[in-house]
Amino acid sequence: MAEIILKVDKLKKRYGNKAVVKGISFDVKKGEIFGILGPNGAGKTTTLEMIETMRPIDSGQVLLDGIDVTKKPEKIKGLIGVQLQSSAFWDKLNLTELLRFFGSIYGEHTHPMTLLKEVQLTDKAKSHINTLSGGQKQRFSIASALVNQPKVLFLDEPTTGLDPQARRNLWDLIKTIKNKGITVIITTHYMEEAEVLCDRVAIMDNGKIIALESPKTLVKQLLSRGFKKTRHVEQANLEDVFIDLTGKDLRD
Amino acid sequence: MKQYFNVIFRLAYVLTKRFFRDKVAMFFTLVFPLIFLFVFGSLFGKDRGAKFDLAIINQSQSAFTQKFITDLKKSDFITEKPVTSLDDAKEKMGRGEVDTILLLPPQFGQQSGDNQPPGGQAIVYYDPGNAQTGQTFASILSGILGGVNEQITGQKPLFTVTQQSTGKEGLSSFDYIFSGMLGFTLLSLGFFGLTNSLPSMKKEGVLRRLRSTPIRTSQFILGNALNYLAIGITAITIMFIVGITVFKFNMQGDYPSFIALVIMGTILMFGFGLAIAGWAKNENQAAPLANLVAFPMMFLSGTFFPRFLMPQWLQNAAGLLPLSPIIDGFRFIFTENKTLFDLGPQLLIIGVWTVVIYVLAFRLFRWE
Repeated sequence: MAEIILKVDKLKKRYGNKAVVKGISFDVKKGEIFGILGPNGAGKTTTLEMIETMRPIDSGQVLLDGIDVTKKPEKIKGLIGVQLQSSAFWDKLNLTELLRFFGSIYGEHTHPMTLLKEVQLTDKAKSHINTLSGGQKQRFSIASALVNQPKVLFLDEPTTGLDPQARRNLWDLIKTIKNKGITVIITTHYMEEAEVLCDRVAIMDNGKIIALESPKTLVKQLLSRGFKKTRHVEQANLEDVFIDLTGKDLRD
Repeated sequence: MKQYFNVIFRLAYVLTKRFFRDKVAMFFTLVFPLIFLFVFGSLFGKDRGAKFDLAIINQSQSAFTQKFITDLKKSDFITEKPVTSLDDAKEKMGRGEVDTILLLPPQFGQQSGDNQPPGGQAIVYYDPGNAQTGQTFASILSGILGGVNEQITGQKPLFTVTQQSTGKEGLSSFDYIFSGMLGFTLLSLGFFGLTNSLPSMKKEGVLRRLRSTPIRTSQFILGNALNYLAIGITAITIMFIVGITVFKFNMQGDYPSFIALVIMGTILMFGFGLAIAGWAKNENQAAPLANLVAFPMMFLSGTFFPRFLMPQWLQNAAGLLPLSPIIDGFRFIFTENKTLFDLGPQLLIIGVWTVVIYVLAFRLFRWE
């Protein structure tokens, strides 16, 4: 039995009279990639932000590495790396300067080049953030979330808006991060992405978790209930064609 | 503890670096006050005293008149404007190129008889819209001619006037307005720097990203304050150098006191920008509020014209505004050779405002 790094217990959040997260509970194992799936408005981002100490918790408890996030938010922030959905970095500073500054907040002596190498941005070390492409920005955002060598990395829809090449490239990066022993918690709209990356997924709808299993098990369970796709199953899809024609090389 | 301050210094360092790469911000904080300095410095700065742009029309051929004009041109209160005729001179007066016209008629300086002293009447023309200048020049001229009369007739006048300057050695009016200009620099820096940048950082999500790190609100605020202190000292240094080199500013007072007052003034003015920018959710809230507070303060505290021109009750009230003791303090140090120890009332007002505004700023600060 793998060690539990994150324990979420009966977590609740409401805005006004609208309950957004309705008492969800789940555990994340150390070293896994844990996906949170769900349609827009399901409560994924709110859930993540409560765990990240960015949003006050109404009720319930979150233990990260055994620490209660509401009691020691500063300590939690030191243990996690966060890539937010709508965040930005200062302009007029280059990537190296930004990483060095973020490192200094954690009291870490950062090696910007090592981090940039990890996310394939060494040639952009002296560039400013506004000159980067969408995929490069996401990769930099992940690099900045790794400055403190976090135990848990949170990625909120990291591939939204990226082209297929950039998306695949980011998948490879996330797998490398997992192989270094960092637990990854990711939200996404892309089922294919969840199937490729996630060891287990929680499917959220309307503020509740309605399924929590490995992607394979979930598919098996569905099939065992007698589900059949009405359409003939193709051996390839349009995305396969696209990748076949344009190649996997990154375009930015 | 060491780590706590390290973050503040690192933040101040990157913010200052950003500032010096931001040409627009540099223009508004460093160059803009200089433009005001040049405008106001040139308007009030030169010690003109009574100086006249004078057109001289001489119709007299007498030796006395020749000598009189030569002596008049030598005096430092007139600048002669060359004109061809009385009409030409009048036209130039209409355009404001000439303040006064001095007409010396043919009889001027002529002797009425062989053993008679020279005499005559000079005519001073002046623009009715600028009557004071004409009258002043006429009375100065009467004074000079009085002296001439005295020399020729040998009669000492019974009543005389002597002049004595009340200002300390070598003080020019620029030395007085300079403190207001420095106050303006600190005010615009404090009010308009952060209120421009912080709300957009909130909107873009820069602050959100920072908030997901262990940085504390107090570290963020103090890092920004330190950044503005660095910019403020740079701005004042530039003003000071221009003041000394271009406008011959004559620093009377104590440099350590002056530097200490610059630091206190910058911190206090930054507190206002911080309170407004920290509270505002976006630029639409920040900019109007900053203007609303800054402009009355700018005019009431004596940045552009001295407070003693106001009615007494307004002077008393305006003296309590946060910018007033800073400007007064500068002026006392510059022109009256005072040090920080003589500025008790000013320091008290600055201190009270600093506490009030920072308590407010910390309370109102919002990350999003």
